[in-house]
Amino acid sequence: MSGILVVAEHRQGVLRPVSLELVSAVQDVRGALGDKVTVAVIGAGARAHQQTLSMAGVDELVFIDTPDAEFDPEVTEAALAALAAEIRPSLVVVPHSVDSMGYAASLAIRNGYGFATDVFGVAADGAAVVATRGGYGQKVNVELEFPGASTVLLALRGGTWKPPVDAASPAARDFAFSAPASRSKNVEFISPPATNDVDMTAKEFILSVGRGVGEEDNIERFRELADTVGAALGCSRPVADSGWLPKSRQIGQSGKTAAQCKLYMAMGISGAIQHLAGMKHVETIIAVNTDPNASIFSVAKYGVIGDMFEIADELEKHFA
Amino acid sequence: MDNAASTATTSLYFAPEQITRVLFEGFASSAIYLFYIIGIAAIVVFCHGCYVQVRKYRRGAGDTASQAQIKDRLVAMVGTVLSHRTIKRRDTGAGHAHRLIFFGFVLLFIGTATITLEYDITARLFGFKFWYGDFYLWFSLVLDLAGVGLIAGMLYMMARRGWIKPPKLDYARPDREPGDPDFDRSGYRREDWAFLWALIIIAATGFVLEAARLVWLQDRPEVWTLRWWSPVGALLAEGMRAAGLGAEGAGSLRGGLWWFHGAIALVFIALIPRTKVKHIFTASGSLMFRDPLAAQRLPKTDPDAPSVGYAKITDLTWKHLLNLDACTKCGRCHEACPARAAGAPLSPRDVILSLREFANDALEKQSLPEEAKLDIHGKDVGQVFMETLWSCRTCMACVEICPVAVEHVPIIVQMRRKLVEEGQMEPLLQKTLQTIHKTGNSFGESKRKRAAWTKGLDFPVKDARKEPVDVLWFVGDYASFDPRNQKVTQGFARLLNQAGVNFGILYEGESNAGNDVRRVGEEGLYELLAENNIATLSSAGFKRIVTTDPHSFNTIKNEYPDFGGKYEIVHYTQMVLELIREGRLTPDRKLGYRTTYHDPCHLGRFNKEYDAPRALIEAVGCELVDMARSRDNSFCCGAGGGRIWIPDPVGKDKPAQIRMKEAAQIDGLEVFAVACPKDLTMFEDALKTTGNEGRFVVRELIELIEESMAPRQIAEEAVEAV
Amino acid sequence: MKILVPVKRIAALEEDFEIRDDGRDVDGDFINWDLNEWDDYSLETAMQIKEAAGGEPEVVVVTVGPDDAEEVLRKCLAKGADRAIRVWDDALEGADQLAIARVLAGVAKTEAPDLILAGVQSSDHSHGCTGIALSALLDMPHAAVVAAMTYSAGDAKVRVQRELEGGMLHAVDVSTPAVLTIQLGINTPRYASLRGIKQAAARPIEELSAADLGADFASASRVRRMYVPEKSRAQMIEGSPAEQAARIAEIIREATGA
Repeated sequence: MSGILVVAEHRQGVLRPVSLELVSAVQDVRGALGDKVTVAVIGAGARAHQQTLSMAGVDELVFIDTPDAEFDPEVTEAALAALAAEIRPSLVVVPHSVDSMGYAASLAIRNGYGFATDVFGVAADGAAVVATRGGYGQKVNVELEFPGASTVLLALRGGTWKPPVDAASPAARDFAFSAPASRSKNVEFISPPATNDVDMTAKEFILSVGRGVGEEDNIERFRELADTVGAALGCSRPVADSGWLPKSRQIGQSGKTAAQCKLYMAMGISGAIQHLAGMKHVETIIAVNTDPNASIFSVAKYGVIGDMFEIADELEKHFA
Repeated sequence: MDNAASTATTSLYFAPEQITRVLFEGFASSAIYLFYIIGIAAIVVFCHGCYVQVRKYRRGAGDTASQAQIKDRLVAMVGTVLSHRTIKRRDTGAGHAHRLIFFGFVLLFIGTATITLEYDITARLFGFKFWYGDFYLWFSLVLDLAGVGLIAGMLYMMARRGWIKPPKLDYARPDREPGDPDFDRSGYRREDWAFLWALIIIAATGFVLEAARLVWLQDRPEVWTLRWWSPVGALLAEGMRAAGLGAEGAGSLRGGLWWFHGAIALVFIALIPRTKVKHIFTASGSLMFRDPLAAQRLPKTDPDAPSVGYAKITDLTWKHLLNLDACTKCGRCHEACPARAAGAPLSPRDVILSLREFANDALEKQSLPEEAKLDIHGKDVGQVFMETLWSCRTCMACVEICPVAVEHVPIIVQMRRKLVEEGQMEPLLQKTLQTIHKTGNSFGESKRKRAAWTKGLDFPVKDARKEPVDVLWFVGDYASFDPRNQKVTQGFARLLNQAGVNFGILYEGESNAGNDVRRVGEEGLYELLAENNIATLSSAGFKRIVTTDPHSFNTIKNEYPDFGGKYEIVHYTQMVLELIREGRLTPDRKLGYRTTYHDPCHLGRFNKEYDAPRALIEAVGCELVDMARSRDNSFCCGAGGGRIWIPDPVGKDKPAQIRMKEAAQIDGLEVFAVACPKDLTMFEDALKTTGNEGRFVVRELIELIEESMAPRQIAEEAVEAV
Repeated sequence: MKILVPVKRIAALEEDFEIRDDGRDVDGDFINWDLNEWDDYSLETAMQIKEAAGGEPEVVVVTVGPDDAEEVLRKCLAKGADRAIRVWDDALEGADQLAIARVLAGVAKTEAPDLILAGVQSSDHSHGCTGIALSALLDMPHAAVVAAMTYSAGDAKVRVQRELEGGMLHAVDVSTPAVLTIQLGINTPRYASLRGIKQAAARPIEELSAADLGADFASASRVRRMYVPEKSRAQMIEGSPAEQAARIAEIIREATGA
């Protein structure tokens, strides 16, 4: 038993919230897989996140200084490989994120780790890690085991665990490694086109439309409905990709998170995982879909199996 | 006509050989030679023009099918031309005027040709003369009347262009913007007027010439006494004399006019192959090679060919190249086109004219231009926009009304085949095609769910693949998967069940019939679908097929035979009517709704079934009121040709909405009846979006029939309960 | 110049699927196969580079899968790929994505491409790791989740934009040869007409057995159990559309306090 390594993620000086969720994720297995939970932060100025990460459940913070403050896949991988060689963790968890997609698989395959991504359940069977993830478009759950691996690397899905609430004072130290000369160079961050439209993250009531809207013509009808009921009009990725609504109105992983939303109405949205990532936390979700098996109904509080157009027509009458 | 009497009158005073037309009298022999030189030159230019045109057509691709049954084709063409059957349709005025022009022109031409025949051939070679006596007199009379007819027709056509100005004669193009080169096709407008003026001047100078000759020869009794055999000429001659014109003055007028008249007539002849006048030949040719199933049965492609469809102008068959030249820009297709009416960048006429200009430009030269200059797709002048081609709903309104048998739809589909090959289409359409390939239906549903609608019935539906049936019901995608249509589908199943018809369906063995896939231009996918369905059908035992879907009906009826699937197929309206007439279904409750009926393109225009649905409406006791555009002139709902999978542009009235508004003009309309699953979907939407919801309803005929049978059912159940 | 595009035949489940008796996978009868959506985009990226360079660069598609997987390669050939390679060995049945990466690395070593364009992930299992695992085995620079890129055949580096969470983009220069994983929406994939696919049927597909590549194809995970999750289920609002809408209106009023 040699501990658990949690990799924190930050961007442009801000710690990504998923980092703390990972701390919670490993608490259930810390007894079985290793007592010590080490959280590593990689990048120039990593220490800046010390306070945010000093939470219950963290035993040790390790700061790894690198030439660049921002993410570089090769440097990150080398840093983690060096740290893991020292602490020999039985479990390494990283966020399942765009950054980790750039280094986790490489780290795992070079070092012979057990490996799985987009994991939303971590358990121990004796001293063995058991990870649960979705399969076949999230229609099934898959339990994975990692025979023969002394270290298992799991990329965990964000929004699955609640971050710890209690602060603590874990030990903190720096870790030095020899950073490889990277073969890629960070140039710049490009913010999504100025949100001259709306800020969906601030809206409390969002009405979103998905593929079910069918064609561009019909968008106007739901814009009117949203106005009538007092909601901001959002959409899922296919609608934004088709250019029917601006990208700034897209809710989901690659769009906006409905951060302040209290009431979310999903019309004609089947509930792809990438959309759910931006809205499943909302307290009251109403879903309207013709397909009774749509996965949106598994996160919604209220469901209506029916035609979004019919419901829209009827609903409008109540707010006229 | 009293021939004997008139012969007696004329020969009483004059020897028959005296009574003849004065041709070259008074001309020096050098002038006569000059005339012959000009005449021969005109004929040479004419012949060369014809050669260039024929060479142009021969540069197109082969079309062996059209070369069969030449004699039958010729007879049919002559019948169509002489009757003016196709020209009269939806434009009686123009039809009559054209008839006057046509027969006037033909008679005058025959007249002139006969003079040449006698003077230059029979008289010279065989010493045989017939151009005198009664024959000449009757001839003069007929030609004078022909000239009057020609001028009258021409004047009407001028009035039509100059004052009446029907919108269909506005050549402004919906596929180009004002300011674009050739936006208003003004060249054609000028040509039209030049043609009208040229003919009218030829005819008018002919009469003045005739009058001048009469005045000039007024001293010859054999001329003057019989002058009223040329009534118009005589009338003018009287006028000239009254105005003080003497024989001498008339003689010199005649000399000048003779040359003027002759010169324009010869120039006119020389230019026939190079101007719109060529439609005399091209339209006749086009009619002769008419394919009665041009839009219903699209051409197959060669699976091994390196490319398919029309990419270059030389890919068009010679027949389609001939079609281009046959077009007289009459605008009937332009008027009938639902895409054009809905503001789409498509007028069938413009597609034809663009291609014609392209062909004239590229194919009339001595040698063919380089390959790249033959590409008919693109944004340049003369090229056809992809948006134009995708606007077409293949509803056949253009092909059906075209008086000269131009095949707009097959040409457009052939061009789409090229676009499909290159993936130049709406992303949504691309997705749908992939979905159809993957799942066999356009809804992307699992094959297993195709017969899910049968679960709502209280009797089992036979699987025709497992047991033989009398009637195989080919259900089709919309009727199978669309929730609204499923209710109708169940209704038809109940009707069949009630009538005791031994029927079955193919369950998951059925695929999309492919009618619209083929009209999109995805021929490979169509072949796959057709072959799958034919394989499934051939494994089933049945006597005939029925379908509620006119699209499936069309392709199974007209196109599957080309792939080895020959079946007897009926549309449900035909079958239900049969069942009612046999007494197996008794819709005895008279509904009494004021009802209009929308002819689905694929049932009506495509397959000429206009009456069965109307008979059903009558059978259920509804009052049928046809819309202004009905039967062959039915206005497409906009869903054909794969357009149901392509969103219509925002902000413009869609065809279905235009149609709804048309129906709403019927006073007290209660029911808008349809007989096609796609129509139900399109028109129920349009009913809402045009604000007619609550005013009248859209109903499938099946629903009306079920409704009219309902009381009896209840009555029977009540009896059973007792 | 050569571009290698690894593609996957993905599985889509039919509605009423069943889990296999051994509880480790879905019964194959309920699976429909198709080309992975992301791979449509990576192939299109490759084709655009090829066409911009006048057609000289060779685009090679490779898949790891049994005979039936040829179908997706044909689709790629129909879209313009120059060559197609299929690798299989019955021992690969049940292999995980890292094992697949090892097989692909074997092919990549022989082919020696200048650029490898993989999809970000597959639409069935969404691991999102095969491309980057492949880059490790080849020791090539890499970037994941590329939503835009600037590159001409022969360039020493490629400017990519990684699509980060929340719609932010991260521009990075990556030296080549490199492995990139391509995100949806980077381009508009072309259509493979059925005629094209049929004609591609006549073109050869190079077949390799995993043994030809002479490596071991160890997996980093193994499926222990597969099951249909108990889904928490929304409270369903029944009734006619009018009744349903009335209830929704009530819920909206409650939640918004209006």
